[in-house]
Amino acid sequence: MQRFLDPNVLAGISSLDLLAKTVVDGFVAGLHRSPDFGFSQEFAEYRAYVPGDDLRHVDWNLFARTERCYLKRYRGETNTQVTVLLDASNSMQYASGQVTKMDYARFIAASLFYLAIHNQRDAAGLIVFDEDVREYIRPSTRPGQLARLFAGLERAEPRATTDFAKPLRHFQNLLHRRGIVILISDFYEEPEKIVRASGPLRFHGNEVVLLHILDPQEIRPELRGSALLVDLETDRRIEVIPEYARTTYRARIDTHIEDLRSRAQGAGMDYQLLVTSEPLDRALRQYLSLRQADN
Amino acid sequence: MGFLAPWFLGGLAALGVPVFIHLLRRHRATPRPVSSLMFFERGTQSSTRHRRLRYLLLFALRCALVLLVVLAFANPYTRKATADTNSQLLLIVLDHSFSMRAGTRFGDAKQQALALLSGKPHAQRAQIMSLGGQFAMRTAAIMDDAQLRAALENIQPGDGHANFGELGQAMRSLAETERGPIALHLFSDMQRTAMPSNLSEAVLPSNVELVLHPVANGPAPANWTVESVEAPATLSDPKDPKHSRARVVIAGFGTPAATKTVSLAVNGRTIATRKVDVPASGRATVDFAPLEVGHGFNRCEAQVQGEDAFPADDSSVFAVRWSDPERVLFVHAADDTRSALYFGSALSAATQGSFVLQTVAAEQATDLDPSKYAFVVLSDTVTLPGIFEHTLGQYVAKGGRILIALGISASHHIQIPLWGADVKATHDYAREGGTAAVGQVDFSYPALDQGQPGADNGGWAEVKVFYAAVPEAGQARVAARLSDGTPLLLDKQVGQGHIVLLASGLENLTNDLPLQPVFVVFVDRLARYLSGEEHLSGSKVVDSFVQLRGPAEPAGVAASVEVIDPGGRRPLSLNEAGALQSFRLERAGFYQIRFANGRDAVIGVNPDRRESNLEPLSKDVQDLWSGASGSSGTYQAGSAPAQRKTRPVSLWWYVMLLALVVAVAETALASGYLGTQREEA
Repeated sequence: MQRFLDPNVLAGISSLDLLAKTVVDGFVAGLHRSPDFGFSQEFAEYRAYVPGDDLRHVDWNLFARTERCYLKRYRGETNTQVTVLLDASNSMQYASGQVTKMDYARFIAASLFYLAIHNQRDAAGLIVFDEDVREYIRPSTRPGQLARLFAGLERAEPRATTDFAKPLRHFQNLLHRRGIVILISDFYEEPEKIVRASGPLRFHGNEVVLLHILDPQEIRPELRGSALLVDLETDRRIEVIPEYARTTYRARIDTHIEDLRSRAQGAGMDYQLLVTSEPLDRALRQYLSLRQADN
Repeated sequence: MGFLAPWFLGGLAALGVPVFIHLLRRHRATPRPVSSLMFFERGTQSSTRHRRLRYLLLFALRCALVLLVVLAFANPYTRKATADTNSQLLLIVLDHSFSMRAGTRFGDAKQQALALLSGKPHAQRAQIMSLGGQFAMRTAAIMDDAQLRAALENIQPGDGHANFGELGQAMRSLAETERGPIALHLFSDMQRTAMPSNLSEAVLPSNVELVLHPVANGPAPANWTVESVEAPATLSDPKDPKHSRARVVIAGFGTPAATKTVSLAVNGRTIATRKVDVPASGRATVDFAPLEVGHGFNRCEAQVQGEDAFPADDSSVFAVRWSDPERVLFVHAADDTRSALYFGSALSAATQGSFVLQTVAAEQATDLDPSKYAFVVLSDTVTLPGIFEHTLGQYVAKGGRILIALGISASHHIQIPLWGADVKATHDYAREGGTAAVGQVDFSYPALDQGQPGADNGGWAEVKVFYAAVPEAGQARVAARLSDGTPLLLDKQVGQGHIVLLASGLENLTNDLPLQPVFVVFVDRLARYLSGEEHLSGSKVVDSFVQLRGPAEPAGVAASVEVIDPGGRRPLSLNEAGALQSFRLERAGFYQIRFANGRDAVIGVNPDRRESNLEPLSKDVQDLWSGASGSSGTYQAGSAPAQRKTRPVSLWWYVMLLALVVAVAETALASGYLGTQREEA
C-alpha cells in the first residue's frame, strides 16, 4: 500500500477525492500493522494510583486479581477543528520532476481533510493565501464540507508573491475556537519573520504545524554549468555557476531550514520538512500525533 | 629567427574573430526558473566573475589557436648551430674546363681539393664532381676516403666550357634526393664567362652551402687567341682566290695594342705568315688566300705567335676538303628552262663550285642512274618515265634525297611522283588578284637553318608566291607555310631517304623566290642537306654533337660508324658504333669520322672561345652568389677548410603541433559550455 503514498503515483490521479481516499486508506491500513498505535481502541494506559486520583477510574477487576491499585486511562473522543493555511504564491509552482510543490501541498491538504472529516469527524477548514487571503472556507463538519474543501484546493492556482504577515493577521480574526492550524508553504522568507507572523496563532491555544514543502533540487541543486536563474515570483535574474550551487547555496539552505526548525520549536510550533519526492505519510503521522496530544 | 613566408602573417587579422565573439558580441543565456533567488544573491557576483574568467581562458585559447596557425603558415625558422658535421654532405666540385689549363690553375685547384678532402672526418659522406663541358658526378656520396681521393686525382684538365648555370641546375636536382645539408666547395678560376647572364640560373637550393675556392686572383692576364676561322669546308678549285681563302680573327683579352704574327699551317706545314696590328683588347682580321691544299682532307691550323698567359688557345684548327665537284641531276619539263638557270646560278654561288648541275628533260632521263649524283631535283615534272621513276624510288629508299618542285604542271596532274600523295588543290593567287607571302618558317629545319633570323622572317617575308599547289601533307614535316596556311616546304622520309617538296616552282613564274637574296642561302642549305654534307662542317666547338646516322635508320641494321679522336683512339665500342645516333666532340683537335651513309669527314674541334677570356668574376658577384645560397663566403687559396656556422631550421612542425594541442584544449573547454546550454535548453 505504500506505493499509493508516492507523489509520482498520486500525480496520475485527477480527482482529489479519490486521491485523498487512496492516501488515507493506505495510510490507515499501514497503521493497523503497527504495534505502537491503536487507533480504534478506547483504552490508553494503566497508571499506578496516587492519593487524590478519582477512585472511579480504578480498575477493580485488576485490583481483585493482583491486589494492586491501578487507574485505567481511556482516550477521549472529543472533536477538534483543523484549519489548513495553504501558500499559493508563484514559488509553489516550481518542480524539478512531475510533481510541483503546489500539487504536493494539495495532496497533503486533501489527505488531511479526508482523514479529519471522514475518519475523525473533525471540523476542517481552508485558507488559501499568497500576499493576501484569496479564499476562506470555514471549518465545519456539515455534509458536503469535504467537497467544498476539495473544490477550494482545485481553485488554488499559484500566483503573486508570498507575504505571511497580512494573511496570518487576517486569519487570527477568523479563528474562534482552538484547534490545529497547519501552515503549508515553502517558506522563502526570513525564519524570524515567519515565526513572528505565525506566533499569535499559538496564543489562542492552537497547535500550529509548519509543513515546509521543498523540491529536491531546492535542497541539493545540481548545475552542470553556469545558468541564468529566474525568480518565479519577482522575475529577477542572476547568473550562477555550479560551484556556488554545490557549496554556498547548500550551506545557506541548510542553515535556513535549521533556523526555521529551531525558531518554530522554540515558539511551541511543530515543524516538518517535506520533500516532494517523498511519500505523504509523514504529514499524516504528524497530524495524528498532534490529534492525540490534543486529546 | 625569421619567417620563410612572412606574407602569411597578414592572417593575424583573423584574431578579430575571437575578439568579436568574446568581447564585442553580447552573451546570451537560456533562463532557468527557480522558486526564489533568496539564497543566490551573494553568489551572483562571484559566479559572473568566474564565468568571465573561464570565458577569458577560452578567448585566450582561441586567440592562441589563430596565432599559431598563422605562424605555422608563415613558416618560422631559426638558425641552428651545426656542431655535427657528419650529417652534412661534403660536395667537392673541381673545374676542369679549358681555361684551367692556364698557368698552374688546375694543379692548384686539385691540390686544394685534396687538402680539403684530407681534412674530412672519416664518418662524413663526400662526393666528387667535375665541372667543364658536361657536369659529371665522379663518385656517389660515400665515406671511402681512398676512393674519393682516387676520383679526384683522376680528373684531368679538359677542353670544355664551364657553366655555373649547369652547376646550379645539378644542385637543384641533387637537392630533390639529398634533403640534408650540403656543403658545396667549388674549386675554380671563377671565370666571368662561366656565369650565366641570368644569375638566378646559378642560385643554389637553400640546403646547399656554397664555399668558393678561387684559384685565379688579381686582374685577368693578357691573352691573345684565334677567335674564329672562316674557311670553306669543301673546295673544288684551290687556285680560285675567290673561294679558296681563310679569314682568321685574332682577339685580345686584357691586352695592350700589339703587332702579332699569324701563321697558317696545312697538314703540319706552314704555308703563310701574316703580321697584324691588334688594338688593345680588340680584334683584327687576317686573310689567307689562296689555300694551298691537297686532294682529300687537309688539316689546317691558324696560330697567333708570341707569348701570353694562355698558350693553349693560341691556335685554331679546321679541315678543308679538296674534292672534285659533285654532280646534281636536275630534271625539268621540256619547256622549262628558267628553273635550271636560277637554281644552277644559286647553287654555284652558294657552294663555291662544289656542285655541278646536270640538267636533263624528263623524257630523256630514262637511262640515268640517280646514285651517281649528290642529289636529284625534279622541277615541275609530274610525269616521269616509268623506269626512271622506279629507279628513283629505289634511290630514295636506300638513302637518297630528292627535291620536288611543283610548278604550273601540278594543276594538270594531281599525282606527285614518289611522294605517295596527290595534289588536293591549287592556288592561283595572281589570277585571284594578289599574291601570298611566306607566313611561317621553321628555322630549325636544316634546309632553312638560320642562326638568328631577322625581323623580315629571315628574308622570307619579301618572297611573293603567285601560284602554289596544295599537296596532302600526311606524315610529312611542314617546314614553311604561306600566309593562308598552305604548306610551302615539306619533308617526308621514305625508306632511308628524304623527299623535300616545294609547293611552288623554282622559276620566277610561280613566285619571285629566285629573285630574292634568300634564295641563294636557301639553295646552299638545301644542297648541303640533300647531299648529306651538313654534318661535315670544317670546324666545330668542343662539346658539340655530330649526327652519325639518320634518325630513322634502325640500329644495328645500318652500317657501323667509325670515330677516331684527336689522340688516335677509337672512343666508340662495337655496340655503340652500330647504334649510336650522335657523338659528342669532347676534345680539341681533329676528329676523323666515317658516317653511317659511308661518307668520311675530318672535323676540326676547338675549345669554346669564351674560355679564352680569363677575367674572373668580380668579388661582389662572388659574394652575391655564395651569399644567395646562405653560405659563409669565399675562401682564398691556402686557407683552412670552411667551417659552417649555422643553418636554418624550420619550426613549422612544432608550431603546428602546439596549435593542435591548443585546438584540443579549446574544443574540450568549449564543449563544456555547449553541454551547459543543452541542459538549460
